[in-house]
Amino acid sequence: MIVAALPWISPGLLSPGLLLAAAVTAAAASLWLLLPRGAENRLARWLGLALGAVALAGLVATGRRLGGLGEDAVFLVVSLVAVISGAATVVSRSPVYAAIWFALALAGVAGVLLVLGAQFLGVATIVVYAGAILVMFLFVLMLAQPSGMAPYDRVSNEPLLSAVAGAVLLGLLSLFVGRLSAETPACCRVPSRGAALTTTSGQAAAPLPAADAAATTADPLAENHVARLGGELFGRHLLAVEAAGVLLLVALIGSIAIVSRHGDPSGELTAAGRSR
Amino acid sequence: MNPLALLQNALLVGAALFALGLVGILARRNLIVMFLSAELMLQGVSVSLVGWSRFHGDWGGHVLVIFVLTVAACEAAVALVLVLQAFARTGRLDAAAWQTLREDTLSRSVDRELPAVDIVPPVFPRLTPAGVLPAADEDDLLQREHV
Repeated sequence: MIVAALPWISPGLLSPGLLLAAAVTAAAASLWLLLPRGAENRLARWLGLALGAVALAGLVATGRRLGGLGEDAVFLVVSLVAVISGAATVVSRSPVYAAIWFALALAGVAGVLLVLGAQFLGVATIVVYAGAILVMFLFVLMLAQPSGMAPYDRVSNEPLLSAVAGAVLLGLLSLFVGRLSAETPACCRVPSRGAALTTTSGQAAAPLPAADAAATTADPLAENHVARLGGELFGRHLLAVEAAGVLLLVALIGSIAIVSRHGDPSGELTAAGRSR
Repeated sequence: MNPLALLQNALLVGAALFALGLVGILARRNLIVMFLSAELMLQGVSVSLVGWSRFHGDWGGHVLVIFVLTVAACEAAVALVLVLQAFARTGRLDAAAWQTLREDTLSRSVDRELPAVDIVPPVFPRLTPAGVLPAADEDDLLQREHV
């Protein structure tokens, strides 16, 4: 029995499909055990944590097989931080703990973005999400959290089906990721920037001076990252920036209009809701 | 790491975050935790987009992630106001409190009885009093030179 199980344990002998299937199954079981299901069971929680570790090990092994994961220790660490804290966000009983785990997941995601060369986005994720959006969540929690552990925080809607759905989605996406290849098919080749410029303007664009050509290079890893990202954002995507500004204004006015109680009877309903 | 491996690993991380957020949205009943799960899905998409952007060496993914951030901020503002209003009306942050909005063909979800939990009140450390309380001078308290 043990000898028969050995090839399954040794990762070198396990086929990629089996490895992925084992990891996904362990992830589903772990999420099902860890999600709140009414009665708290310490054994189920420990078993869920152990299965979660097995699922993470399987995913890391899948990543190593695809190549590279583990060469870059920083990428491995920050992605593990992001995924583990994401899972903790989902399974936390208390919404305050969920928000704090989400902040840690954001830190992990910002690390992943930095490793991928997106310096501005890494910092913007920390500033905008952890600094503004998460604080807004915590404010709402302070305003709206009933005291003690609410019964709806201790149960889940269909925990088994949800965990299986998430794990199946993860497995399918991982299969797709494993089949990516380096060469682009001829149908989907993106024209180079210069070609796009000549075709859209109808005539050949004036040849750029050397300095400008260096400044508009499309490689995110070159120097002057933020300056070139700003140039791209406010040059090629200027109309979208304007639309985003209008969207922000609409959201601001809309949320004020929703929260102000003039002319509707929700004021008395508020008092009724609080006294209940 | 070669570019393809980096892209694949970034996509794996993005897929894991997206799947976790999906599980949270499907399973949890607290409205705020559901919104946190939606934000987790957005984070997974951001990681994937930046991975593709790195692979192709262009700015499309970066710009798209900036707009994702903008829309997420708008969505969080409007959604949290709605959550607050919902809490003011029902006194609960429960998604099932709004099940009167369901279709006629769906059956009503009924909560089963939960076993009671004993919530242990937190124990805070007691500070030992340091020294004696000095006697306050009444005149001094009433006539301060500066505040």
